[in-house]
Amino acid sequence: MGKHRKLVQYLILAFVLLVGGYAIGNSLFTSSDALAKGDKPPAFKLADLDNVAHDWSEYEGKPVILNFWGTFCPPCRAEMPALQKQYEKWHDQGLELVGINLSEDQITVERFAAEVGAKFPILLDRDKKTERAFGLKQYPTTYFISADGTIQDVLVGGPLDEDDLEPRIERLMNGRK
Amino acid sequence: MLIQNTKCECGHQNPVGTVLCESCGKPLFEEAAGAEDAPLEMRYDGVARRSQKQNPHLIDRVWNFFSSVKIAIYLIILTLLGAALGTIFQQESTFINMTTDEEFAAYYKETYGTAGVIYHALGLSHTYESWWFRGLLVMIGASLVICSLDRVLPLYRALNKQQIRKHLQFITRQQVTYSGEVAGDETAWVESFKKQLKRRGYRVHQDGTALLAEKNRFSRWGPYINHIGLILFLLAVLGRSVPAWHMDQYLALYEGETRQIPDTNYYLKNDDFTLELYDESELASNQKGKAVPKLFETKATMYECIEACNDPTRDPVLKQVEQHPIQVNSPLSHGDLKIYQNSYQARVRFISVNVTLTDTVTGKAYGTFALRADNPERVYEVGPYTLRLNDYFPDFGLDSESRPMTKTRDPNNPAFAFTITGPDLLKDGETYLYFPMPNEESKAYQAILNDYYVKNGQSSGKFAFKVENAMSGGKMVNVTFSEYTTFLNIRKDKAMPYIWVGAAISMIGLIMGFYWQHRRVWLRIDGGTLSLGAHTNKNSYGLRADVAWALARTGIEVPPKSLDNRRNLR
Amino acid sequence: MNWIDLSSNVFTAAFFLYCAAFICYAIAVAGKRWSNRDPQGHTARWGRIGFIAAIVAWVLHLVFFFARWKGQGHIPTSNMYEFMTFLAMAIMFAFIVVYLIYRNSLLGAFALPLVIIIVAYASVFPSEVQPLNPALNSIWLRIHVTTAALGEAFFAVGFAAALMQLIRVVDLERKDKVGVRSRRWTEFSLVAIILIVGFLVSVFGFRGAGYEASFSQETVEIADDGTVNSQVNEVTYSLPPIVAPYNSETVDFQAFLGMEKPLFEAPSWMNGVNAGRKLNTVIWSVITGLILYGLLRLLARKPLIAVIKPHLMDIDADDLEEISYRAIAIGFPVFTLGALIFAMIWAEIAWSRFWGWDPKEVWALVTWLFYSAYLHLRLSRGWQGTRSAWLAVIGFLVVMFTLIGVNLVIAGLHSYAGVS
Repeated sequence: MGKHRKLVQYLILAFVLLVGGYAIGNSLFTSSDALAKGDKPPAFKLADLDNVAHDWSEYEGKPVILNFWGTFCPPCRAEMPALQKQYEKWHDQGLELVGINLSEDQITVERFAAEVGAKFPILLDRDKKTERAFGLKQYPTTYFISADGTIQDVLVGGPLDEDDLEPRIERLMNGRK
Repeated sequence: MLIQNTKCECGHQNPVGTVLCESCGKPLFEEAAGAEDAPLEMRYDGVARRSQKQNPHLIDRVWNFFSSVKIAIYLIILTLLGAALGTIFQQESTFINMTTDEEFAAYYKETYGTAGVIYHALGLSHTYESWWFRGLLVMIGASLVICSLDRVLPLYRALNKQQIRKHLQFITRQQVTYSGEVAGDETAWVESFKKQLKRRGYRVHQDGTALLAEKNRFSRWGPYINHIGLILFLLAVLGRSVPAWHMDQYLALYEGETRQIPDTNYYLKNDDFTLELYDESELASNQKGKAVPKLFETKATMYECIEACNDPTRDPVLKQVEQHPIQVNSPLSHGDLKIYQNSYQARVRFISVNVTLTDTVTGKAYGTFALRADNPERVYEVGPYTLRLNDYFPDFGLDSESRPMTKTRDPNNPAFAFTITGPDLLKDGETYLYFPMPNEESKAYQAILNDYYVKNGQSSGKFAFKVENAMSGGKMVNVTFSEYTTFLNIRKDKAMPYIWVGAAISMIGLIMGFYWQHRRVWLRIDGGTLSLGAHTNKNSYGLRADVAWALARTGIEVPPKSLDNRRNLR
Repeated sequence: MNWIDLSSNVFTAAFFLYCAAFICYAIAVAGKRWSNRDPQGHTARWGRIGFIAAIVAWVLHLVFFFARWKGQGHIPTSNMYEFMTFLAMAIMFAFIVVYLIYRNSLLGAFALPLVIIIVAYASVFPSEVQPLNPALNSIWLRIHVTTAALGEAFFAVGFAAALMQLIRVVDLERKDKVGVRSRRWTEFSLVAIILIVGFLVSVFGFRGAGYEASFSQETVEIADDGTVNSQVNEVTYSLPPIVAPYNSETVDFQAFLGMEKPLFEAPSWMNGVNAGRKLNTVIWSVITGLILYGLLRLLARKPLIAVIKPHLMDIDADDLEEISYRAIAIGFPVFTLGALIFAMIWAEIAWSRFWGWDPKEVWALVTWLFYSAYLHLRLSRGWQGTRSAWLAVIGFLVVMFTLIGVNLVIAGLHSYAGVS
């Protein structure tokens, strides 16, 4: 009986330790939902302005800039030309620059993109799904994702200009080699 | 640790820690000298708790720590103090719009000054999520398990094999005692006393002239059942932190809007929101003139996506699964999901309009078409003309460079830009900007901008958009607005059934333990002298009444109070 | 006459009958040493009269409750006035239950003042019928509030018995530190009760005299979206303002005893709703209470415990302890069910979470934990007797803080209408 009893004791204490550890650990390491440097971005599948679906896997393995923007956000509007310029400069060297619109109507996005001359691919989020998956808090938010699939840098707010973009893109491109 | 001789004079070998001999009940050692007549310590019937043993190991020490009621009380008090501290200032979790630690720090400094800074720095601003508060709850849980196990098994054994004839000391040192002479036949008296106790619901065991009567033993299990319920409850609470078991989302929907419930395959539509206010006559004097809601309700329809759910190029195909008017105390539920009315906001939003293309000069109507805020159609054929939607601003405004833009994503004040082509029009078509909201600001914008197009040669000013018979019978017919945005809370909580079961078990245990009392009466007659002792864990008043009642019916009249052994002490 | 009028008339009658019942009990306790009387017969007779009066008052109280229910269409437990009157009714019920078990009529001499004070306290709040907030329109809420109040009522009876026990056992002769301390604290519990009476006297006194002063207070609030709103509110006082609201201007001030302006302004950190006015009320309660206490001491020329103690000598301290413990033991499961389990069920239905760490919830839990500790402490003999009586007294303080203090000091979801 003595052996048996000891075993029960050990089992119960182990159970308490396990459950207690989980409960306390949970409160110590609650991760916030906002993405940060070093994280991997969540996968998404969105349509572009020509209603063609694009999957995150298409971009994975390449240096990518993801820019979340909306026509209702003045700094987003203001940084479009700068983004377009960088796109023209680096796209041939393998950089992907993708604008993800913040769940607006397609016509609104289309007209605005045409007006400001944004030619880089624009994907349309729906029902704030992707926005939520990225844990966005402020607009615009721009993610610099290196070829190994991790976020190298996050810029929250804007408008971004050449000085913001250029050095980060160079780092992205260098990291690839 | 004190080494005692645990062998009783009756020959029974007791485990270390035993207070009263497991067999005959003789006190094995005195707690204090000179307490010879003091009532006995009857906790757990004087049996050794499991944890009381010699030479404890580390594991035993941990076990002993949690098995102590004293520790349990300390834990309860600490939890109590911690919980109370958390109510001094508002907790972080009550602020929906703040997330980062810096924001919270700033808020506490701003609102509560130095005390707030200290409060936040100590982590008291998130007391209930903190590691130490959780730790206390975990320790209470451990204490519940170990304390109970440590006591319930020995107690069960002790109560299961009770000796009828107890040691004289055991009997005379109970909290309720009587001793006196019994006249006449001893066995006959015991028989009649037995009968009386049976009438009072006791189960009686007899051994010659010794007697053991017992009732409501089950109430002794009450505390342990309560503790089992509490453990289950605490485990269920912990289970809620498993992501798949728990979901908590908010959805804001204006009337007519359909949105996907995040992280699910379900969509929710706000068909209609109604707000009823109390009549002026129903209000108390200090409420007069205020809008006091009587009822608010969201008529909601829940859909499940059955096709094209993850295809961004197509609209999802939805199938209705549930329909329910959601009120504060009446959520919509579907499977694990429950959708609650959280709050609402009065905010006028455009939904759709049946607009008529008319001639500004002749007033002629060319035709009517339906225009909606959500995903508007691109092309409309009206009479001989083609209207092409050129741009759409759900919440019209101008940016810093005076270009039209939308201020938000919500159709608060939409503007639709059309190009109209057809016979006898300008070569590039006529531009027309339409504002469906009937407010002054938007109508002013509409007039100014359309005038500008005429001046600029983009329009001949031939057309105007009108809503015909906007009002009919006191109701708007050709225009639909949403007056309110409803805020719904979507919850999934798979742990809930366990929580309720835990609470119910705990409640059953409490009722068992508090509303019934375990009562036992021992007696023996030695040479004409009756010694009677009785014990209960609660309500000795009732026990005394029982004993006095039974004694009275066997010819011994005693006032119940005189049976109280504790009283004789003072 | 409609139901509401009926109910308020009946309520007034019930209040005076409670007072009459208390006087009977007081005669029962105090009058037994009056000349040419048989002490036992006297106590029994007046105790019985008191009990009957209390029962009649309670029946009227029930009539009030059901008439008001009928009149307003929902159970009258939805604001502070209604809740407090219900609590008083529940305490009477608990007293009757305990009386039926123990037949100790003198318990009424302590339970009734409690009922009277709570009824009077209820009357501080506007008694006007208010329409029901939709969130409160749930059967579970009604069950939750009534059951919780019933549990608390048993704690109240436990408190009354414990206080009697403390006065009964206090040693008036003992000169050492322990003796002085126990005398001082027991006397202090009585002073605390007199301060509450002081609060009632000052509120009703000045209300009767029609006193009013008002201030305009500017409050700056930072809204959820970060915008700063500045609001000017008028704060009306019904007691002469010793303390003005923080950041306020005097609008109207009736001079009182030569005091023509507030003596000082409430500090900024007191940020509850109408903090300045509450502080002012507390100061007035203390002043009036201390004057009352002073008068009583002047009349008696000895500590109040020394006045009361001789009348309690016939009661056994162990009986009181038993009653106190039993009342709490009866109340504990009821309280658990009402204040925690039913509250969770309602919270789950109305607010979609069974537990939200709302201050009121937390304090219900604190109360529960406190009484759990009490029950566990009683397992060891060292904590029975006086110590456990003190715990019963403190426990009831925690209950009262949960019921009233939380609403006054901490704002939360439970803030009842008409609290200030």
